[in-house]
Amino acid sequence: MTMRPARRPPVIARDNAPPPDTSAQHSQYALPLAKEERLWFCVYLPNLPLEACGPGDKDLAVIEEQQGVHRVLLASDHARAAGVLPGQSPNAALALLPTLTLEERSVIREQQVLELLATWLEQFSSFVCVAGPDVLLLEIAGSLRLFGGLKSLRRQVAKGLEAQGFGASLAIAPTPLAATWLARGRRRACIREPANVMAALRNLPLSCLDWPPTVLESLAGMGITDVGDCLRLPREGFARRFGVKRLLQLDRALGHLPDPRNSWRAPERFCADFEMTEEQSDRELLLTICHELLHAHEQFLLSRQLGTQRLLFTFFHLKAKATSLPLGGARADRAAGHWYELLRLRFEKLVLPEPVIAIRLRGGTTQALNGTSGRLAFDGRAPREHYYSMSQLAERLAARIGNESVHGVNAVADHRPQYAWSTRDLFAARAVDALARVRQGIERPLWLLPEPELLSTDNGYPLHQGKLRFVSGPERLETGWWDEHGIARDYYTAISPRGAGLWVFRNRDRHHGGEAAWYLHGIFG
Amino acid sequence: MPRNSDTSSLEKLLENPRVWRARSQPGPAEGLSSGYAQLDRMLPGGGWPRQALTEILVEQYGIGELQLLMPALASLCTEEPGAESVEPGWIAWVAPPFQPYPPALQKCGINLARMLIVRPRNASEVLWSAEQALSSGTCAAVLLWPHVLDDQASRRLQLAAEKGGSWAIAFRPLSARHEPSAAALRLELSASHRGKRLAILKSRGGSPAVLHDVV
Repeated sequence: MTMRPARRPPVIARDNAPPPDTSAQHSQYALPLAKEERLWFCVYLPNLPLEACGPGDKDLAVIEEQQGVHRVLLASDHARAAGVLPGQSPNAALALLPTLTLEERSVIREQQVLELLATWLEQFSSFVCVAGPDVLLLEIAGSLRLFGGLKSLRRQVAKGLEAQGFGASLAIAPTPLAATWLARGRRRACIREPANVMAALRNLPLSCLDWPPTVLESLAGMGITDVGDCLRLPREGFARRFGVKRLLQLDRALGHLPDPRNSWRAPERFCADFEMTEEQSDRELLLTICHELLHAHEQFLLSRQLGTQRLLFTFFHLKAKATSLPLGGARADRAAGHWYELLRLRFEKLVLPEPVIAIRLRGGTTQALNGTSGRLAFDGRAPREHYYSMSQLAERLAARIGNESVHGVNAVADHRPQYAWSTRDLFAARAVDALARVRQGIERPLWLLPEPELLSTDNGYPLHQGKLRFVSGPERLETGWWDEHGIARDYYTAISPRGAGLWVFRNRDRHHGGEAAWYLHGIFG
Repeated sequence: MPRNSDTSSLEKLLENPRVWRARSQPGPAEGLSSGYAQLDRMLPGGGWPRQALTEILVEQYGIGELQLLMPALASLCTEEPGAESVEPGWIAWVAPPFQPYPPALQKCGINLARMLIVRPRNASEVLWSAEQALSSGTCAAVLLWPHVLDDQASRRLQLAAEKGGSWAIAFRPLSARHEPSAAALRLELSASHRGKRLAILKSRGGSPAVLHDVV
């Protein structure tokens, strides 16, 4: 029986593939992989359902419902020694070992544990992939140098997994599928050369391939039990009988087809709950718990070199609706101390309708925040402590007196005095706005009144603390038709009898009691 | 009795930290030039006292009370960042009575990007904000218009100014003239049809004086 190369692209996307000869010339069959070589490290966790229940319980068995009946899925070493075996009914298991603890299998818990492991494995590689319910893959070609070679890396991973209480089967191969299958086959394989993949896979029983039992049964019926047998079948017939997917899988495992994987991304938003055993209304205690949550948050962000600008504390009550307390900062930060100080200011004013039963801390969207280097203070002076940056100061002020009460200012290019400036948001991330050009030769007061103040007049002359003496003017400022806030004013600089410099104008538009109205608009401070 | 032992016992006595000698008082620190030569001459250190509280008692607004500060403030916000502060050169305005007008400030040379305006809602928040701004080490100068400023509050501001290395300027009405204050410098500014009068009421390390038509 000889295998023919596929001719039509839908079946296998491969051009000019040499005829796969299953005799001795594997080197011919082993096509080059992608230009840059990859090496995949597979961590297979066969006992994950058991290990996900946590350490501690010696007599533990995980049961699963199969076709309406509960069966033992996995049992701990101790329980197995007592005769508890997979497939037994819970009652039989309990009869064998009365102290046995039975746990229902929880796929969600397993997934969570797997993700935690993936996060932990990220220290070994930048590319970690959750490849199945119990399989993790690492791309390690780039990590070998850093971790002192393949052996050393493998040892470090194995040691770490063991310390965390996981019994894993590890395998290394140039393709992700080959690594997975070898790990499932409990072969302590370590294949670096793509040319050797075929030889390693050939003897692997098909049960390692995670194919459906029906497929395996019919293959077994044909006398085909390992991967090598499979490869000897004609490709078209194999694809027709068992699906193109399986053929593609074989090709991917051997490296004939690319096998792109998605890198697992650790969550970048923090969310943690603290649940209390009983309701608490002691505010000091609640603050302490919040502080702990903030510490966990800081650790979370620190390992990712991230910071956040927003946090949300939620205080849950038994009967009333949850109270939320959002915190915002002017600058992304992760320091627990900084957030705690903001929290304390806001918490003072927070009204809690009922005692609290749980507290949740949710981090906002994160942004990169690199560490800052400390400064050496060798210049003899004691280093000044508790210095804040402007954004921290603005935050502190705003936390107590309100966001709108703390701002910067900006000059705006507008000839109308009241529009020639604006407030500047210190919390906006953008840089300083382009400032209006300084206009020389015109006189403007340092103080501007929020609203022009109507002045009383005497024979058409304005009065303020007495009769005003005009120093300069008029400066005629007019129009603004484009936004319906047009003006028509003559501005004068005047001195009051008591020596104050005033900026007054005569409104040429509206007349007040038959006479042109005079207003005070600014003070030359 | 040899003379020697007398002098040595005197020296021993002088070593006692409780003995304070007028001569050993440190000379005034270098001041911040006010930009008005006439005033600089009368101030110890040749200018405004840095890292201290200055009180300006004004009869009314509009007699040049801001103009008096402008050259010094302008030099502060263009100054090179100092070694010990994080981000210096900010000027905080706490509870100003009117709106500081940016076009005029810009003309005086103030960097608008370094202006912080704080409008607290009550008297205690004014002092709290000013204290925070002073001790933060970020603000080169903090101008405040307190509703009340008793002896204790002025002492706190003075301490905060020292801690943050910041210049505090409190504007107060003339009626505060007889209230005790911990300020390093107290000025009184008044105006009449004859001209403007600036009196140095109190000056640490200096002496009172009266100046005319400085601004």
